[in-house]
Amino acid sequence: MADLLPSTEMLASLAEMMAKIVFIFTMNMGVFAPLLGWVERKQSALMQDRIGANRADILGFTVFGLLHTLTDAIKLLTKEDFIPQGADRPLHYLAPFIAVVPSLVAFAVIPFGGHYNLWGHDTNLVIADLDVGILFVFAIASIGTYGSVIAGWASNNNWSLLGGIRVGAQMLSYEVAMGLSLVGVFMVYGSLRLTDIGVAQENFFHWGIFLQPLGFLLFATCALAENKRTPFDVPEAEAELVAGYFTEYSGLKFAMFWMAEFLEMVTISGVLVALFFGGWHIPFVTHAGLVKFFGFLGTNFAQVATMLVHVTVFWTKVLVWIFVLMLIRWTLPRFRYDQVMKLGWKIILPLSIINIFITGAVMLMVK
Amino acid sequence: MSGTYKKVNRNVTLTLWERMYVFEVVRGVLITAGHFFPNFVSVTKAYFGGKPADRKIMTIYYPEEKPVLPEAYRGKVVLVRAKDGREKCVACGLCEVACPAKCISIVGGLRDDGTRYPVTYTLNGAVCIFCGLCEEACPEEAIVMSDRYEGLCEYDRKLMIYDKEALLVPEEKLGKRLAYIRRRMYGKWNY
Repeated sequence: MADLLPSTEMLASLAEMMAKIVFIFTMNMGVFAPLLGWVERKQSALMQDRIGANRADILGFTVFGLLHTLTDAIKLLTKEDFIPQGADRPLHYLAPFIAVVPSLVAFAVIPFGGHYNLWGHDTNLVIADLDVGILFVFAIASIGTYGSVIAGWASNNNWSLLGGIRVGAQMLSYEVAMGLSLVGVFMVYGSLRLTDIGVAQENFFHWGIFLQPLGFLLFATCALAENKRTPFDVPEAEAELVAGYFTEYSGLKFAMFWMAEFLEMVTISGVLVALFFGGWHIPFVTHAGLVKFFGFLGTNFAQVATMLVHVTVFWTKVLVWIFVLMLIRWTLPRFRYDQVMKLGWKIILPLSIINIFITGAVMLMVK
Repeated sequence: MSGTYKKVNRNVTLTLWERMYVFEVVRGVLITAGHFFPNFVSVTKAYFGGKPADRKIMTIYYPEEKPVLPEAYRGKVVLVRAKDGREKCVACGLCEVACPAKCISIVGGLRDDGTRYPVTYTLNGAVCIFCGLCEEACPEEAIVMSDRYEGLCEYDRKLMIYDKEALLVPEEKLGKRLAYIRRRMYGKWNY
């Protein structure tokens, strides 16, 4: 009978799991999803020598235009939820959910910190420490593609359909190259598990960017393409397809596609940081060294302090990457459709295979 | 910036370096980042320092900040009231003739001392096209374009028909524009 009762260790694990899920969910839905709209507006404005949205105010306080996010939310919530005539209603309803949920779920395997021994309980700062790790991200990202394709198909609109088809083609092309571009990373670190890859990057010169520069470049390009933002936004090309696959969406469903795009950006930044930019590590500072530095706080609080520093470092890196992605999005013009396909199949795919060969050859030589 | 332009060769063949794309992308990103960071610093400085001049961006927060208008700006048409309180206008009707939109109508009269003056001077603001030809036609510098651009719109067109009293503005307030007209006039004579 006593065995069936939850032990303290089980309760601690449960609490840890809940805390991690709540943290990631809050970071994504509570911080990034609303904030990135503001970041995009303001950053693009400053890049183009403008000021950006700054008029929404509460009692005269504009807070740098942050309140526009709030007005957006109110506007989208009170807008009519329109379903066009002849649309496939269930699928039209389902598509935004399929689009937004995977971008949230994919973050489950990305570690935002290492292992910490908190009051005798081993805390691993990743929601699901899967053996397949990064493959899970790919799989989930592919499910996200269904959301866009279904949205295009279910809307009963030619533009939406064209957008949906383009999403399908683009995702298919870049999914292949994306997977192959990371094979080099798996070879170097000998693991698919993102926590292992994170631990292996404790040494600054073992960061993925130094060991796999070409792989990084190819993966970043593919990730940009997966995100369907400007250099690769043929699926939603405003000039050609109105808004592509979400032409017929309004109100909160439109907001969900919008949110999915931003959350994908966060996920991409997370993956890039976890794989190529040392995850939660500060350059030249080891985990043990940081614990030792905080030693004056006592054993447990040293661990807590280390954890907080690592989590902050991880999210700072993610923020920097979001900034870079935004910079690229507001710098480059859109590729033509044939250019997207050519880049995917004729350049990135062969280069990623060459990258695998080079990595293998170098590893053989080093051994 | 004005006066210089760069000719774009659209049939240019890309070099190998450009076709590698990555480096050119980095260059482009550096250019936009080079706009972002100085603007970021200047906007933050202006926000916390409270000095709009610190802001390097040309945008004007319109209702709070007003633009500095050039002297050549053509706003609402006004009649000049001379220092002695009389209108300068002598009701010669040249502006009426010059007006391409035909928005001016004058009824002239004689004062007791024998000088001419407009008994009524009506300008239809809804018809006026702000071309400034009345100002150029006027031999007395009696009608000028002011720099007033606000409050010219009404929901009722009848409210936009200005009579003499609505048009008269003291000469002192129009000093800059009058100086500009004289400069422009003599400039014309001198070329």
